[in-house]
Formats: sequence, structure tokens, C-alpha cells
Amino acid sequence: MINGNLKSTYAADERVLNNSYKQAFVYGMILALGLFTLTANDYFILIACKMGILLIAVVGVNVLTGYTGLVSLGHGAFIAIGAYVTTAFHNGFAGIIPDQIMPLIAIPVAIAVSALIGIIVGLPSLRVKGLYLAVATLSASFIVIFLIEQDAFAPFTGGVAGINTPIPNLFGWELDTKREMFVLIASLAFITLLMAQNLIRTRVGRAFIAIRDRDYSAEILGISLLRYKLTSFAISAAYCGLAGALFAYFYARILPEQFELDLSLELVAALIVGGMGRTMGPVFGVIIIVMVPELIKISFGAATGGALDLQRYAAPMQEIAFGLLLVFFLLKEPLGINHITDRILRAANRWPFARG
Amino acid sequence: MTINRRTFLATSAAATAAIGTPMILRAQPSEYILGVSLPLTGPFATAGQLVAPVFSLAQKMFNDEGGIAGTPIRFVTEDSGYIPNNTLANYQRALANHGTDMIGYFADSTGAMKLIAPELRGANARIMGSTSFASELANPAENPYQYLSGPTYQSQFDILLQNIKDAGGSKVAFIFSNTEFGRDPIEHGKATAERLGLEVVLEESTKAQGADIPTHVTKLAQSGAEFCILQGYVTGVWPQLIGGARQFGLPVQFKGTFWGMEKFIADRITNEAGPILDGYQGVMPYRYFYDREGAPRYETYAALSKEMFAGTPMENYMSTWALQTMCGLELAVKAFRDTAEAGNELTADNVAETLSAISDWDSGGFFGGPVTMENNAIGTGRVYSYSAETKLFTPTSDWLSV
Repeated sequence: MINGNLKSTYAADERVLNNSYKQAFVYGMILALGLFTLTANDYFILIACKMGILLIAVVGVNVLTGYTGLVSLGHGAFIAIGAYVTTAFHNGFAGIIPDQIMPLIAIPVAIAVSALIGIIVGLPSLRVKGLYLAVATLSASFIVIFLIEQDAFAPFTGGVAGINTPIPNLFGWELDTKREMFVLIASLAFITLLMAQNLIRTRVGRAFIAIRDRDYSAEILGISLLRYKLTSFAISAAYCGLAGALFAYFYARILPEQFELDLSLELVAALIVGGMGRTMGPVFGVIIIVMVPELIKISFGAATGGALDLQRYAAPMQEIAFGLLLVFFLLKEPLGINHITDRILRAANRWPFARG
Repeated sequence: MTINRRTFLATSAAATAAIGTPMILRAQPSEYILGVSLPLTGPFATAGQLVAPVFSLAQKMFNDEGGIAGTPIRFVTEDSGYIPNNTLANYQRALANHGTDMIGYFADSTGAMKLIAPELRGANARIMGSTSFASELANPAENPYQYLSGPTYQSQFDILLQNIKDAGGSKVAFIFSNTEFGRDPIEHGKATAERLGLEVVLEESTKAQGADIPTHVTKLAQSGAEFCILQGYVTGVWPQLIGGARQFGLPVQFKGTFWGMEKFIADRITNEAGPILDGYQGVMPYRYFYDREGAPRYETYAALSKEMFAGTPMENYMSTWALQTMCGLELAVKAFRDTAEAGNELTADNVAETLSAISDWDSGGFFGGPVTMENNAIGTGRVYSYSAETKLFTPTSDWLSV
């Protein structure tokens, strides 16, 4: 039954965690992550790090697509920019900036560069939207990868051969294991989610939502489409830039093929499955998008004992499952898993008086 | 319980057994695991699917021979789709599932090797072979656990350029794919050409698949090259380039490196497009599978293939790509066995030391004679020429070592 929702002050009502269930959930998750960090094996840590990095990027896409209603199929490019700028900056200023504070400068620089390029890529959004904008942003992926591979930039990017990435050091704490990186990635993923949740409660966030719901009505209301659409692109690209910076610090080497179109599509797919325009949507989406292929792979491996002739069917099965999942959500639950969990929680909360 | 001498000794013995048992179990696993990532899907699925059966053959053969010091081996294979991140995840999963029982890994691309290389540290280090001949990997100081089962692409270029020089050539063109694999030996090749007094008249980068053939052929025609080295292609582009040049009437002689030397592909092109590949030459680190005289190891593979792959294309022929994999596995298993026979634990450090010290190894047929690991690679190869009539690659040079 409904309880714990009595608010006696405006401050209490404005809290992000405004009831005891949300508090229990968030603190429980923090505790679970702490235990996971201490007990999980390297493989689970690798997968969790992958999910954390992807989550930050999907939160970025959520700001743009979920809250502002602008479609992008080029956000993999911003992850690439974040990764390559971090690496180039770190290598370029090694010895000039102390190692202990290097990530604290390199990461914001990567975020800033991604945001700036995000504004440029977002310019077509002032003229076109929907499918046309999706195609316009698609070019970002190709252009960025093309530039990374060029010989002229090879001293900074490694060209097609890729480049080894530095080990981050935070005030003397060298994050040279995946477990240590997980602490950083999980913390930043949590902060990112919190920031996105707060963003939509601000004037800027409300403007994004107004643009999403009906852009010309928003303009009539005095919301500058130019300003807010480009702001949305900048914020969204900045999140992806952060994801890219962590990607570079996490993987020992970055290669252009890691940032191709597939990555951009994965971000959008995660958002569709998880639930657009909802804070927890990216979380659910990323869990599904990373875990489903892994679970299929693990169960296939266990069922076949690693038999070679059967292994070749595992990969198409992952893709088929992935495709079916997308179709299922588009048809049956366009608001994503987030909506399903909402309904379950609402039913539990009102039980036994209401269902659904 | 009263503690006296007897109970103290009994408790101590029980505690020692309890603590020591896992160590004994670790030292004597019931089987050794060798993890494998292959591109069973994706752009190089053809190569991956032709290589995959080799692991069944190798598993049976090595185990029939007693495994490693009596312990059988088992290959655990997964698809990577030719995506380095997937191979890294597969490697981590294999480590998590098999721990110290997994003594080696076989990766499927240069990208994957480079991505995993920094992960091979401490308890996570494993001996790692691959399908790659990337020059950067032949560096034991940087990558002590990774090795090549043949010459680097740079060495292959050296062999081809020397061969061109010996044939009296003077003008050479390099056409390569815009992949890491394609660009790998280009700078080195230019330096070697200069040292040999050859003029590089064209350096042309193309797409790895679906290249604009007429444009590239026109540039080749304008360059006036007598020889053209093709690098960085597997199944596509290289035959189209040769076909385009033949249509154009160019007299240029084409030469390829390892991945463009597969008889299976050359035969398919001949069947579909006629004898355009007649006289095509290239460098191969190994003998072809049909050249089995004095190659006892090849005879063993042939007998097993007949038994295991009856009714499939592998019944009578093993692709060059499969041979490369077999050679890599033979090297790794030799290193494991030698390490075990020397009474050492199969740690990555011990095996890497044995592997890098392999010298005068009689491979049983892969190479022209005994070979030695230098910089974790074997710098040997021979130039072969394809005949559209016999549909065979036959040697046109002696074994060359660089």
C-alpha cells in the first residue's frame, strides 16, 4: 500500500530520492556494487566496466533523443573523440602536467572537445528532424573514423594501427587493474545518472521536453530552438566524450574499428529497449544489450562444450535474439523495460487496491 | 578437545592436506585448456570457418600423442566476429572459467593481439598465438607471451623484393588495403626497395572490400611498374585487381603475401573468370599441403583429415590458413611439452622462455628445413607461382630466410 510519500516541506518534495523505497533501492545498489567490486572475477568486472561505459553514453543519447526528441545515429563518433582526445592529450602533455592530476584535466578536455563537435554535428537539427536528422548525424561516424585513420593525424591517433592508451593516475592512485577502473567507471556512471535526473528538473531540461513534445509550440512559448537544440547536442556529446575518455583509460589500446556504426546503433537500441526519456531507461537498456549476447554465448558454450561446428550458430543467434528483442519492445512496449518496472512497482505500491 | 602431541600432529596433517590439496589439483589438472577466438561470422568468416576444423584435428592428434606430459588438452572455441573487443571478452571469460587450467590462447587478428597484449600480466599472462603476421608483435621485449608462426609481413616483403631484384626487376608498385594489416609492411618495404636499388613507382591504398578497381588499375598502368606487390587482402580485391590489369593488357607481374596465396581462392577465380591468375606469384612461409614428400607431419594431418573430414573440402586439402594455425599450435604444444619435460611448471613465463629459445626445430614439413625462433617469429619463406592449368602453386625460389 502507498506509504512513505507524505511530504511536509517543499525541500522534501524536491529531493531526487523522495521516498524510502527509492532510497533503499539506491543505497542497496551502492552496497551491491561495493560487494561486486570485492568479489567478482575479472570477466564479470570486464563486462561490468563495459556496461558502465556504455551506460554513460546511453544517458547522453537519452538527453538528446529521450528528452529533446532529436534522433542521432552518430554518437559512436563522440565516444571516439573522447577516447582519442584523452589519449592524445595524455600522451602530448606527459611530463608537463603531473601524472597524478592528468586525468582530471584530460577528461574535461575530452568532454569539452566532444561537446564542441557535438554542436557542429547538431547544426542540421535546426533545419531537419526525424529520419532526415538521423541520416545527417550518421555522417559524423564516418567522418570522424575517416579522420582518425588519416596519416596526418596518425602521430596522435595511431591511424589504422590504433594506439596504446595511458594508465590513469588519480592523486597517486594508479588505476592499473580493471577492478580499480571499475570503481572509477561505476562512480562516474552513478554521478552521470544523477546529473541527468537533475537536468530534466531544471529550466533547460523542461525546455528540452517542450521541444520534444512540440517544437514550434515551444518556440511560441519563447524557447529558443537554436540554443536548446544545440545545448542538447552539446550535453549529449559531452556524456559520450566522458564515456570515450573512460573507454581509453579502460582498454589498453584503442582502434578505429571499435567506434564504427555498430556502436552508434547499439546506443540507440539500448535506449529503445530500456525506455526513452526515463532516468532508469539507459540502465535497463544497457543491462539487456550487454547481457543478452553474453548469456547466449555462455549458455551456448555450456550446452555445446565449446564444440566448434556448433559455435558458428551462436553469433547469429545473438543477433537474432537482439533483433527479436527490439521488435518485441517496439511492438509491445515502446516505452521500454522502464515502463514495465513502473507498472510492477505501481501495482505493488497500491496492492491490494489496484492492479496494472 | 584436549590438545596433546597426537591430536596436534593429526590436526596439522589434516590442515596441511586441506590447504595443500588445491595446490596439488592445480598442478595436475585433468585437462589443459587452450582458448580460441575465431571469426566464424563477419567479414572474415570464410577464413574462420576453414580454420575452425583444424582445432578438432589438433586436439585429437595431440591427445593421441599423449597430450602434454600425459595430460590431455581441450580447445574451447568462440566466435569473435573479427571484433577485437569480443576477442578480449572471450579471453577474459576463458580465464574466468578455466583459470590456471587454461595455458594458452589463440587470437584471431592483429587488433585483438594488440588489445590483449597489455592484459597479459602476472596471473593473467598466457602464451598467445594468432592468425596475425604483424611486424609489431614480433617483439619479445614488448610482447613476451605472443608469437608468430612464420615471418612478419615485413619479412615477407623482404623476400618478395629480393626475389624481384634477383629477377632483374627495377620498378615496383605497392597496392595495399587501407587496413592495419594492409599498411603494416609498406614503410619497411620502401626502405628495403631503396636498399636493393628498386624504385617504388606507386603506393596505392584501396578499400579492403569493394575497391574501385578501374581507377587503381589505371594508376598502376600510369606508374609503369614491372612488378606489383599486393598486401592486406584475403578473399576479395586482389583477384579483381589482377583481372582488371589483365583486361587492360598490362604486362605487370603480380606478387602477393601470405593471405593472398590460398589455392582454394585461386581455383575459384580460375573456375569463374578463366586463367587470369596464371603466373601469379607470392610468398608462402609453408609448403602447400599437397607437397608432402619428406613431410611426415603433413602425412599425419592427411591421414587424420581423411578420417575426420570425409565428404568435406578438408578431406584432401588443408588451406594455407589452416596450415598457419596448425604451425602455431605445433609451436605452442612443443613449448608446453618441452617445459613440462624439463620439470618446470607451465607458467606463461616458463613457456615463453622455452618458446623463444626454440632453435633448429624440425617441423616435420612446414618449412624447407629446421627453423629457429627469432624475435618470436620464424623469418622463412619461399616464392610460389600459380598455374591455372594444374591449379597448383609450385615453388619458383629456394627457401629464403630474412
